Amino acid sequence: MPRASGKGYKQRPLRRYGFFIAVAGLIALLLLQSSPRLRGQVEPIRTAASDQLYNVTRPNLVDRLTGAAGKDRQILELETRVRELAQYKALALTMAERLEVYEDILNMQGEPGGAEVTARIMAETNGPFAEALLANAGAANGVQEGYFAENDRGLVGRVVQVGQRSSRILKVTDFNSRVPVMGEASGLRAMMFGGRDGLGRLTDLPEQGQFLPNERILTSGEGGLYPRGVVVGTVLPYEDDDIRVNLEMLRGQLSYVRLKPAISIPRPEDFPVETEVAEVTDEAGQ
Amino acid sequence: MMGLGSVPDFLSMRWDAARPRLRLAIGALIVALVGLAGLTPKALFGVPLTWPYVSLIAAVGWGRSGLAFGPIILLVLFGFAQDASQAPWGSHGLANLLTFGLAVVVSQTFDGDRGSGAGFELPLACLFAGVALVWAIASIAVGHAVRVTPMLAAYFATVIIYMLMAPLFDLGIRRGLRGGAAA
Repeated sequence: MPRASGKGYKQRPLRRYGFFIAVAGLIALLLLQSSPRLRGQVEPIRTAASDQLYNVTRPNLVDRLTGAAGKDRQILELETRVRELAQYKALALTMAERLEVYEDILNMQGEPGGAEVTARIMAETNGPFAEALLANAGAANGVQEGYFAENDRGLVGRVVQVGQRSSRILKVTDFNSRVPVMGEASGLRAMMFGGRDGLGRLTDLPEQGQFLPNERILTSGEGGLYPRGVVVGTVLPYEDDDIRVNLEMLRGQLSYVRLKPAISIPRPEDFPVETEVAEVTDEAGQ
Repeated sequence: MMGLGSVPDFLSMRWDAARPRLRLAIGALIVALVGLAGLTPKALFGVPLTWPYVSLIAAVGWGRSGLAFGPIILLVLFGFAQDASQAPWGSHGLANLLTFGLAVVVSQTFDGDRGSGAGFELPLACLFAGVALVWAIASIAVGHAVRVTPMLAAYFATVIIYMLMAPLFDLGIRRGLRGGAAA
């Protein structure tokens, strides 16, 4: 039941004044904030108040008891780290692109590749070399002129031109190619060149002895163009006077080749005579 | 031993016996709790919930008991807390205070009709005036008329909460009433 209050009746003017003063004060406060300068001064108060009132991420008592607070905090930390790492990733990608542009501007070459390079065959050229391949590895990858190429079955050819990022391979089927070969069983030596029928031809045959039919033909390593023992093909049964070789590389795939350095036979100049030692020996001998 | 069925009667009896200052404190506590809950993100099945202007409910409820310093100070403080969002300082306090004043005037003017329908409709009109004040102050502050639909939704939410919680904001005094007028 409501109570009647006579005391309030006497104090009503004072309360009324208080009410209107409060209303006037609030209106004045609102009007004062129309000034950008004053509004800028009270904004930090709003920020602090907002931080306190809207700090909903702060764990409450229930979350602390159930352990959810720790998990939430961990999730927040991980999300923060993910955001930071995403920024680093974007920065790294930008830097990599910038580095590539700088290297292009400087015409900078990359680190030389290993001794052996696997290259993809980009094209079969029809230029001066009718039987040539173009591989997508060049000097930038460490390929040098004289490297030989082989696929999964046997010898393919030899690198005759090297660009920065490509190299031209003269196939063993080319008429102008010369490959020192030997019979695996007979041990006979000969030179092989490419015929127009896609087979190899043996020439410079020894005066004595004959290659055996179906004998495997390997590189002999003579001349230093190829290492010894690389499979070239097999000898076909004789017809006429020609000794034809069925090339193994034609039985394999030619999409990719392995470019390998040729053997290097040291020259006499690579082993200089130690004259001082020889003189000392002569003097001792005397 | 008191049974469960007698608990509401016990609470009602205690509430009737409570002093106005205690009622004011309980009302302020309710406003603070509901207001703080309103600061948290609220969604039901992904749909954002409309939150009532509980300070306006307090203004209308306390206004029925006439002018007093306690409600004035509390409503101004609640207004500053509401302004912490992004409103200009004093805007919600002004709306609360003017609604409180309107409720005082309305309750003293139509107090003789308390038993009729006016006792229910007039507070709703006061609440509407309070929400309209918030809308007007916000529109003046931002320089253009703000959207009406969210304000209407907030008004209806405020009305629903008022119907549930109005007795808790009755201070139990009728200032200025004499003798039999308080019956």
